[in-house]
Parts: sequence; structure tokens; C-alpha cells
Amino acid sequence: MENKFDIFLKGVNKILTVIGGTALTIMMLLTVSDVILRAFGHPILGAYELVALLLAIVIGFTIPKVSLDKGHVIMEFLLEKLSSNGKAIMITFTRLLCIGLFAIVSYNLFLIAKEFNLSGEVSSTLKIPFYPIAYCVGVCCFIECLVLVSDIVMVWRARHE
Amino acid sequence: MSEVTTGIVFLIILLLLFGTGIELGFGMALIGMVGFAYLNGWTAAMQLAGRDIYDVITNYGYTVFPLFILMGQIGFNAGIAVRLYDAAHKFIGHIPGGLAMATVCGATGFKAICGSSAATSATFASVAIPEMDRFGYDKRLSTGIVATVGTLGCIIPPSVVLIIFGVITEQSIGKLFMAGIIPGLLIALFFLGVIYGWAKINPKLAPQSQKFPWKARVRSLPEIFWVLMVFCVVVGGIMTGFFTPTEAGAVGTFAILVLALAKRDLKFKGYVKSVTESLGTAGMILMLIAGSVILGHFIAVTNIPQQTAEWLVELPIHRYFVMLLICIIYLFGGSFIDDLAFMILATPIFYPAVEKLGFDPIWFGVVIAITVAVGVVIPPVAVCVFVVKNITKVPMGEIYKGVMPFLISLIVVGGLLFAFPQLALWLPSVFFK
Repeated sequence: MENKFDIFLKGVNKILTVIGGTALTIMMLLTVSDVILRAFGHPILGAYELVALLLAIVIGFTIPKVSLDKGHVIMEFLLEKLSSNGKAIMITFTRLLCIGLFAIVSYNLFLIAKEFNLSGEVSSTLKIPFYPIAYCVGVCCFIECLVLVSDIVMVWRARHE
Repeated sequence: MSEVTTGIVFLIILLLLFGTGIELGFGMALIGMVGFAYLNGWTAAMQLAGRDIYDVITNYGYTVFPLFILMGQIGFNAGIAVRLYDAAHKFIGHIPGGLAMATVCGATGFKAICGSSAATSATFASVAIPEMDRFGYDKRLSTGIVATVGTLGCIIPPSVVLIIFGVITEQSIGKLFMAGIIPGLLIALFFLGVIYGWAKINPKLAPQSQKFPWKARVRSLPEIFWVLMVFCVVVGGIMTGFFTPTEAGAVGTFAILVLALAKRDLKFKGYVKSVTESLGTAGMILMLIAGSVILGHFIAVTNIPQQTAEWLVELPIHRYFVMLLICIIYLFGGSFIDDLAFMILATPIFYPAVEKLGFDPIWFGVVIAITVAVGVVIPPVAVCVFVVKNITKVPMGEIYKGVMPFLISLIVVGGLLFAFPQLALWLPSVFFK
């Protein structure tokens, strides 16, 4: 049975997927428009940097989705040999390690964003500030931590049920 | 502990960590960060992890992944593979082993727009196997070729394996694409030869199917023409320097999308499905790359790549045997982890050695792509075979009996590439002077 936390995560994931998917579509259309306009001598100014920033949205916003969908590559065959108790302990162990990793990454992305904001770092052509992107990806990494916490909750809830 | 010893110890811990079922990309990032912290302190390591992830996901060079993956997904969801198979079926379905040969031709055409091996095997398992069943084809032949044909996607452009190799080693993706064409077509030719020979020796394996009139054949030609056009625009654009690989991916995706919409093969729902699936695959690949970049920074500090290069160069054997040894390590490692993930992990370690041994990096890229192709059909992590097994419910043992002759073809082409490196290097040398 899904609790409010799972429903919340799935809702957030859906929103992130829509944003990521839209960014991917814009990335494609922008690049194609740039190629066509360039052929006529009018390239889109700053298309490369826009596309690179769109990638941050495409991938950053997808990080929690891939984990929720269990889309990452893992080595399953050793895990499958464990008893259900052993499997639950192992999953908890790996989730805790990953929570630690993403908490550190998220915190450091916030620091990077703060640094960008203070130094006024912007893209070279369109002068787009970098800090909102770094903040957004930091938030996505924090959401990834929540997804990993929900994995632990799910494993132990399933055992109790 | 010396730096090299530290590096080796942490790599062993990484392999053990993989056994716990951790996501491979996260495992690499974690060990990279902890190892870097051990040598340079925690503050530097934590900053490195955040900075590397930010750099990977804002790097223009990596935009090539989601775009080419989207191109393949749209082609897949628009049913292009099915129609290519249908066209090939009409032309060669009636000759000995014709339906299996049509699978190879259809898949080769589909590979020109879709780099995913598993997606190709899944499509042809649902389309070609029932057709071969209808005409009484032996299960070993039908499942064997469908499980192996997906591997063409590792070599024929726009191969994701070649793109990843190009990104990791900073080699021209255009050159790698060109280098993959002849070996990819050669493998397809070998597959056709094996099927024809097998069906000639034992005609019961592949009973003759119906012969289509020329009118029906000609009607199926536009499908082949459009796919060929998109392929020529994508590869030609990169080749002439008119596109960057990212632009080629975007133009190819747009062309396939417009074609699919114009022919009403794709609805909005299908497009959303393609985008969502592409996000998942691109996210997975870029997280693997981000993990390997963090691990790579740690490995670079340990001097392991330089030491490995020196050790391999000093081995008292011919450099081609050293290359063979590297391929075996890729196969062995890939068998236990995942072929693509192991390639991402191992390439930064072995690449300096390959350069020092005097091999052409482009040639090495194609050799590694063939090695990964062999890896995806050999146990225990044989993605394409699992896909065919799940769809057809044919036992693994039976599928493997059919896979074997095609696997040998892959190895033979790999051998030919060792003997004649020009098979890979000739096209890039002609078009990239």
C-alpha cells in the first residue's frame, strides 16, 4: 500500500519528468533551428550554451526518476543469492551509502550555486547566470536522497507486512 | 601505502561494493570520492564530487546522448523496425534462411537510426520470431539470430558505445562513426553467410517461405529510402563538418519525428513515451559517466593509468597479444559487472597504454565496440539473450545453441580487424583528411 510519502515522491517525480521531457524537446528544436538558420547565415546567438544548460535540466531533473524506476545498472546476481533478510539489510546498507553520497553532492551544489551567485558568474554570450541551474540540480539531488529513503522504508515495510 | 597500492585497494573495494547491488555509477562516485579524500582530504573530495557532477551535466559534449537516444526511441515507437523487416522479408524472404536474413537486413537498417541493442532484440523477438515460427523455422536459428542481431547497434553508427568511447577518450565521434560502418556491415554480411550456409546444409532448419511479386517489393522501398536518407544526413553532416555530433542527433531526431508524424505512425502519446524512455536511458548513462569522472580523478592521482601503461608496454609479448589481453579483460570484467559500465570504468585506465603501444585510438574504439558486442551475448549478463528468452519463453540453452555461430562471426570480424586495421581506418582516412 502506498503512503503519503510515496504519493508525494511520485507526484514530484512526475513534475520533474515533464520539465525534463520539455527541456529535451526544446533542446532538439533549438538545435535544429540553429542548424537551419546557420545555413542561411543567421545562427541563433548562444545556442550552444543554452543547449548545455538545458542538458542540466534534462539530466538533473531525471536523477530521481531513474532511481524511482529502478533504471540504474546494478549487479543483481549476488544480491539474488541472499536470504530475504540479508537482501533487506544489504539494500539498506547501499541506500545509506547513496544517501550519504547525494547529501554531500547536494550540499556542495548549493555551495557552488552560492559561489556562482556571489561571483556573478554568467554564460559567455547570453549572460545567463549559472547559479539557478546549480541550485535546481542541488534540489534534485536532495530529492534523490528522499527516493533512497523511500527505498529503505519500502523494503522494511514489505517485510513487516 | 603508496599511491598505486591505495588505488588498487580502492578498486578492489569498488568491485566488492558492486556485489552489494549498489548502482554502478553511484558506487564509482562513492569510491572515487572516498579514495580522493584518503589522498587529498575530505574538503577537496566533497567539492570534487559536486563539481564533477555539475560539469558533466552542463557539458555541451554530453548533449549528444539524450538526442541520439531519443532518435532511436522515436524510430522504435513509430514501428520503423517492423516495416524495415517487412521490406527485407518481401525481397529475400523466399531464399534459404530468407526470413532470418530479413531479420539481419531489417536490423541493420534499424541500427542506422537506433543504437540500443536490447530495443532491437525486443522488436525482432516480437515480430520476426512469430513470422519464422509460422513457416516452421528451427527455434535455435530464429532465437539465435534475433538475440545476436542487436549487437550490430554497438558498432553501426549512431552507436552509443562509440559515442561513450569518443567522450571518454576525447576522440572525434564523427571519425568513430565512420570507422564503425565497414566492420558493422561486415558483421551483418557474416551473419547472412552463416544463415545461408546453415540453411543450405540443413534445409529443415529454415523451410522456404512465400515469394512476393515485384509490385509488393517496390511498394516497400520508400521505407528503406527514408531511413537511408536520415542516416546519410546524420553521418554526412558530421563527416562534412556541417554538424557537431549533437546537431546531427537533433537533426536526425527531428527528421524521424517529422516522418513518423507525417505518416501517422506516431501519436502524441507515443512521443511522450519516447521522451520518457530516453530520459531514463540518458540519465542512467550520464550517471555512469559522472561516477566514472569522479573515480577517474581519484585514479589519475594514484598514477594507476601510467603504471598500467608502463607495465603493459614492457610485457615481453607482441603488442597485438597485449591488445588481446585488454579485450579479454573487458570481456571478463563486463561479464561480471555490465559491459557498458565496465567499458566506462576501464577505458581511462587502459587508454594511455593503448596510445603508448602505438595503436590508433579510433581502431581501438571499434575493437572495444566489438568486444562489448560479444559481451552482451555471452553469460552471465547477456541482455539481448534475456530479452529474447522473456518474450519467446524459449529456454536459454536452446537460444545459446543458435547464438553460437553468430558469436563466432563476431569474433572472426574482431580477428579480421586485428589483421587488417584498415577495415576501420580506411573510411575515416578518406573523409577526414
